[in-house]
Amino acid sequence: MTEPGDINSINFDTLKPEEFENYLPYLFASGNGKVSQNPRLQKFLAGNPDCAALVSDLETIAETARSLFEPTGDAVNDPSDQVWNNIQTKLREESVLASAPEDDEEEIEEDEVKEIN
Amino acid sequence: MNCEGQLLMTQAPPVRPNPGLFKRNPPIAGEAEAIEAAKNGDAEAFSKLYTLHKRRVYTLCLRMLGNVSEAEDMTQEAFLHLFRKLSSFRGESAFSTWLHRLTVNLVLMHLRKKGLNLVSLEETINPSEEDAPKRDFGSRDSVLAGSVDRVALERAVASLPPGYRMVFVLHDVEGFEHNEIATMLDCSTGNSKSQLHKARLKLRELLRQSSQPPQPAASTEATQ
Repeated sequence: MTEPGDINSINFDTLKPEEFENYLPYLFASGNGKVSQNPRLQKFLAGNPDCAALVSDLETIAETARSLFEPTGDAVNDPSDQVWNNIQTKLREESVLASAPEDDEEEIEEDEVKEIN
Repeated sequence: MNCEGQLLMTQAPPVRPNPGLFKRNPPIAGEAEAIEAAKNGDAEAFSKLYTLHKRRVYTLCLRMLGNVSEAEDMTQEAFLHLFRKLSSFRGESAFSTWLHRLTVNLVLMHLRKKGLNLVSLEETINPSEEDAPKRDFGSRDSVLAGSVDRVALERAVASLPPGYRMVFVLHDVEGFEHNEIATMLDCSTGNSKSQLHKARLKLRELLRQSSQPPQPAASTEATQ
């Protein structure tokens, strides 16, 4: 029995449709992921329309998934303004801490207030 | 260390970005300047980087975590981490690829801290039989007829079991390779390939269900 990952030794002339799915993850992972265009598979897919339909659907899902990478312009895809506010606060705190002399916290707070004003 | 390694270290050849890496993530106008300025502590430049990338980073976190509050927390962490690590970005990959990898690692670390250690992550990768896609070779036509509505797919992805969703988002949406995913999730590449396939099968099933017209509610009334 051929190991599922060993797709080069598959005999597609004798392959049964129910065995085909075992090899599909590896067929998709090899080459450019376009299983329907694999020359070795053309005869098999033509003779097994269910397998061809499955391959077509899985390719459609993978292709559409790529379009999800770029979020739509909807505001729902944005984090709330609070996220940026928190980032700014944290970075301000870190830079103050890095430059602050020890035992001088009150003075730092005063300076911060002056800066804000 | 071998001689080649020593040579690389002493001669420090110039970084040549792989053009293939930029196909999916082409550089954004003004991004390179903002990166350099932000490296020098320019707050405005960092704000620009946030504006350019907040949506993608947040969407990635939301897809991986499935929870708005956690996704916002991790977006915050990702940009804080970015600020601290920006000086180590050398342009060998697209900036967004680098930022997304950093984000994915933070989210996975967060999930592990929550109790998903390496063993349980493997368990999450293998959901229960109830969640697993059905093997459905039968006389059935193409379910999707060559197209899927983006919104329907987004909704179906959100309802995937976490392990399937993780591999699907990383591979099919984010474009990571199986070997990268295997390293990130601490599993084998074969496992990554197999889980991706199961995720796609499950999505086919979910999309089929969502495209079926609702059953008539009056069927019981009609028999009465």
